[in-house]
Amino acid sequence: MNDALLEIRNLTVRYPGTTAVRDVAFQLQPGEALGIVGESGSGKSSIAGAILKSLGASARIAGEIAFEGRDLLRLSRADHRAVLGRRIGAVFQDPFTALNPARRVGGQIAEPMVRHLGAEPAHAMQRAIVLLRDMGIHRAEEVAHAFPHQLSGGMKQRTLIAAALACEPSLLILDEPTTALDVTVEAQILRLLARLRQQKRVSLLFISHNLGVVRRLCDSVAVMYASQFVELGRVGDVLEQPAHPYSKGLLASRPSLRAASRGSRLSAIQGQMPSAPRPEAGCVFAARCPFAEPRCTGGEQSLILTAPGHAARCWKAKTLGDWPRLAVEGTDLGEFRPGNALVNTNRLRKSFTMRRGMAAWRPSLANRWPRFRYQPTQVAAVDGVSLTISPGEVLGLVGESGCGKSTLGRLALRLLNCTDGSVEFDGADVGRLSGTDLSAFRKQAQIVFQNVGSSLNPRLSVGEALERPLVLFGLAKPRERRQRVEELLEMVRLPASYRLRYPHQLSGGERQRVAIARALASEPRFVVCDEPVSALDVSVQAAIVNLLADLRDRFGLAYLFISHDLAVVAQISDRVAVMYRGRICETGTPAELLAAPRHPYTRLLLAAAADESPTAEPSADIGAGATGCTFASRCPRRLPSICDTTVPTLRPVTSAHAVACHLDPIAKQQCGTIATASIPP
Amino acid sequence: MLICCTASPTRAFATAVPLSDSTALPRRASVPTALIVGASIVTILLVTAALAQVVAPYPFDQMHIRDRFAPPGLRYLAGTDEYGRDVFSRLLIGSQLSLLLGVIATLISMGIGVPLGMLAGYSRGLIDEAIMRVLDIMMAFPPIMLVLLILAITQPSLMKTAFAIGILSAPPIGRVTRSVTLDLMSGEFMEAARARGERLHYVLCRELLPNVWPVLMVEASLRVVFAVLLGAVLSFLGFGVQPPAADWGLMISNGRAFVEKAPWISLAPGIAMGLTVIGISLLGDGLREVLDPRLGRRQ
Amino acid sequence: MASYALRRLGTVLVILAVMSLLVFLATHALPASTAAMILGQYSTPETLAALEHKLGLDLPLWLQYWNWLRAMLHGDMGQSLVMERPVAPMLWDAFGRSAILALCAMAIVATVGVAMGVVAGVWRGRWPDHAVSIFAYLGIAVPEFYWGLVLILVFCSTFHLLPSSGIGNLSDGVGSYVSYLILPVITLTLTLLAHVSRLTRSSMAEQLDSMYVKVARARGLPEHVVIVRHALPNAMVPTITVLAQDFGFLIGGIVAIETVFAYPGLGRLLIFALQRQDLPLMQAAILTLTAVFCLANLGADLLYGIANPRIRHGGAVE
Repeated sequence: MNDALLEIRNLTVRYPGTTAVRDVAFQLQPGEALGIVGESGSGKSSIAGAILKSLGASARIAGEIAFEGRDLLRLSRADHRAVLGRRIGAVFQDPFTALNPARRVGGQIAEPMVRHLGAEPAHAMQRAIVLLRDMGIHRAEEVAHAFPHQLSGGMKQRTLIAAALACEPSLLILDEPTTALDVTVEAQILRLLARLRQQKRVSLLFISHNLGVVRRLCDSVAVMYASQFVELGRVGDVLEQPAHPYSKGLLASRPSLRAASRGSRLSAIQGQMPSAPRPEAGCVFAARCPFAEPRCTGGEQSLILTAPGHAARCWKAKTLGDWPRLAVEGTDLGEFRPGNALVNTNRLRKSFTMRRGMAAWRPSLANRWPRFRYQPTQVAAVDGVSLTISPGEVLGLVGESGCGKSTLGRLALRLLNCTDGSVEFDGADVGRLSGTDLSAFRKQAQIVFQNVGSSLNPRLSVGEALERPLVLFGLAKPRERRQRVEELLEMVRLPASYRLRYPHQLSGGERQRVAIARALASEPRFVVCDEPVSALDVSVQAAIVNLLADLRDRFGLAYLFISHDLAVVAQISDRVAVMYRGRICETGTPAELLAAPRHPYTRLLLAAAADESPTAEPSADIGAGATGCTFASRCPRRLPSICDTTVPTLRPVTSAHAVACHLDPIAKQQCGTIATASIPP
Repeated sequence: MLICCTASPTRAFATAVPLSDSTALPRRASVPTALIVGASIVTILLVTAALAQVVAPYPFDQMHIRDRFAPPGLRYLAGTDEYGRDVFSRLLIGSQLSLLLGVIATLISMGIGVPLGMLAGYSRGLIDEAIMRVLDIMMAFPPIMLVLLILAITQPSLMKTAFAIGILSAPPIGRVTRSVTLDLMSGEFMEAARARGERLHYVLCRELLPNVWPVLMVEASLRVVFAVLLGAVLSFLGFGVQPPAADWGLMISNGRAFVEKAPWISLAPGIAMGLTVIGISLLGDGLREVLDPRLGRRQ
Repeated sequence: MASYALRRLGTVLVILAVMSLLVFLATHALPASTAAMILGQYSTPETLAALEHKLGLDLPLWLQYWNWLRAMLHGDMGQSLVMERPVAPMLWDAFGRSAILALCAMAIVATVGVAMGVVAGVWRGRWPDHAVSIFAYLGIAVPEFYWGLVLILVFCSTFHLLPSSGIGNLSDGVGSYVSYLILPVITLTLTLLAHVSRLTRSSMAEQLDSMYVKVARARGLPEHVVIVRHALPNAMVPTITVLAQDFGFLIGGIVAIETVFAYPGLGRLLIFALQRQDLPLMQAAILTLTAVFCLANLGADLLYGIANPRIRHGGAVE
């Protein structure tokens, strides 16, 4: 029977006090790709760790990992090392720390070849350059001689894949290889991996939290929850007809790339994953499962076959229906109609001085004498952005990391002062507010952050954190404060007893709920949500997005909803603005943007999110495109005569849709005269 | 508003509550042995120093002419010196001087360093630049040089020594405070405070300080040790506390001449100093393990 | 890299200028006046005024500073008031003797200390780690001079193995010369070894926990390659700064150690000058020690730049 490349039987990984992996078994055929999907803490990375023996001294591993006919767990350290790098390659999540900062990239790729294949260093270096070219890197020689800090994240991940493939292994373990990267870069890396799989006939063990990513690359998929495989089958079967309630919930809670109506909500999975699961006492998912009944918690669940080659750890799997949909009470609220502007940004510009103070004094050796000149470096993070948000409206702001979307959010709240332009709130120039007016503005405009780890002061209890805005803005008498805090907790669906907890006693989703409650404590009208769900697991994300939508409807809040995730933005927004390198390149309703994107960058984002082949090349860092369109260097349609010389302005396509592109036919027709007039002679 | 499916919120929380507690508990439970040992040594030291006059078997300056150079024994626990003074009694009184020096110097350096560091880290920009440049220049002096310079100008005394060491220790305290403050400044709860329009003193005292002090406690323990040791060097060289005070450094210095005949005169204060320093260092290391989030909270 | 080096050099020059001003002002705040000291008991108001005029002490302070600094830069450090000899040759002799002590100690600290730290970091939580950490606690528990005293008691008074004080003469043979150096150098290194080994340990431990080490292990590289070729170069970067910082402590140590071992170096000269309030000698000695420390820091900064590819190689490749 054994032609399997990798066969794992009864793999169990225990740490003191907890079991990370319980009784996991699967087979991987040569050339096959298996995805393991689960949220953080499900134990998926411990499987990779067990194969690579990188789990540390406190881990106890039991079971069997048969690779090419040998049990890896019973190999000596030296024999195991001879397999690693030679027969098994590995790529990890964070490319930013995975390369040795003190050594040249090429040497790090060549090193396994020298060690395992006995290659001459010079020859290995030549091979490394060839490999880099294989990874789609154009200037391979230069990259090989570069140090890691000189490369972008996507480039680093390519070199790490090259190093993992250096000795032509038969198995490649990928542990969340694209999680730390932007969507467009992620799409490129996934394409690269798919191509390499074809060319090199390498098997993949692909570990991810993202079902969509697994769909693009894998043949079969295992869904992992609380240390167990809960479902296992062909990718198509599992994703189209999930059998286990958890898989159903995961798929349902992921927003699809569709414009959603105001009343629609995501199907969330309530609660959170247990950190010390006890499957012997019943189904580990029962506490969160809408289909649960007393029999589920009666005893240990085992994997049962629901269809040929498709198994789920649920005794009811064959009889379950769809994951229940959520709906808002009453009728659909209909489309949002904007009123008078609540927030208005007017040609907003923010430039940062990268090098200033002492460091700006750059010495030079002109005319043989050392000289010091003051040369501060200016970088525009936000460049001429004009946006309007009406009361009760949700404006989604999408863009990749570093495009200036968070800076824009902070400018809108005057957490940063703008270099040029202005922000108006309720008709008043925010930049000129002071004293009680400023305080009134602060009360009405609040913010929710991305980083759930640092959004709450670790030394303040939840109650103290929520009380502070009440005290500061004089919103509740001392005797009423406690009651008001409990109301706030109830509003974000946390029990009143959480008042006494400290942040480290909360899960990520709970912290985000507290942060939302804190922002809403001052009863604001406008809230900047800066990537509020991107640090959370998929099953928790949906609940937070729903909560934000509910609060919007209940209090008539206006949001500036910032995210890199087009699907999440489309779900909650009334209008979407796409940002690239400090400028808005397209605005419109989600429906229009998704159905008929006009700007090449929007198309690229959409293609990357929808898993089509993106056509643009990786972002090249050419000093912030001061003279022309910032997207020109990546644009497949660029016309140098105009795109490199003139900054495109936002021009309307329909009443609610505008695009900043010289080459857009409709926008060009409408404002043709302006466009030609602005070309310098 | 929301029709929650079948899983009611309360049920979800029923699973959530005990879990969070179980993750929080182990961190509290394990107290490092270094902390226990260090804290006990420091406690004993503080108690004996406070009660030195009561506990000491003889007045520290009482001479027993007939018992000069008496070796350690039941009558004189640590022997006597060249004037027949009881070394053990002098050690006890000396512990007062050493701890006083350590604590005063550290308070002075924290008094200068903490506000400067917090201000630099909080304001960034020009103020930061100016403060840090001044601290850099102070740090560019070899440590002992600055103190010797100050002490050479004026008549030596315990307070002046403490003052000089305090000034010397201010730059490192300032730097640590600044780096911790900068770390915290990037924390989003700081931005939330600014989004509420909190006043400077609230931000510094309520949001920042509670997070800075754990790191400062560790740093302070290092500074006390540094002050005790440097104080000993200075009195050894004759620039610190002046005779006939029962200072440890001074006692070692005086005993040097009789190191072959009566080694206990010099060795005993050294052992006392070693115990003090090790106790405070252990306390600091233990505190670091418990308090410093950068080292402590490993997953 | 060139721009980095120039910037560091500029900083050092500024610091030295500030230093010289501080030293000048501090010594001028001293109760004793140079003229009064030279004249001693023969001083009368008239002779005092005449001598002050001759020495330029009645000039404005900034002019005095300028004259003094100019003389210093030309190598003229003035005349010792107590010894009544030119300062420069005295200072140079003492400086050479101290430099031998310092260099020997630094060499031992940089090799043995770093090696101890690496061993402790690699075998974390095992006996080599505990041994190093006990050594470190003992090393920092008492000031250097106390260990000097203990060593004298053991090696000189009890076993009579080594000379306890003074300096050897090269004409009596290298062995004799070295025998005078052994105890002072060992004493100097003890505290610094403790410090350096502890910090190297923690930086090594941090590197061994890092992601790229995990990746290197996942490539099946042998452990010694992972430690020596991957972790060590990165662990050394902060150690360089620590060594430079320790050079400052070394200077402090030298002052005390030279007193304990009656070693005629710069430290003893400084103490002598301070005790006798010998202004020119004091200024010259402090300024020399400070300059040495600054140069050591500059050297460390440059080494740091060489060890750190972020500084050595600037911008992006793509």
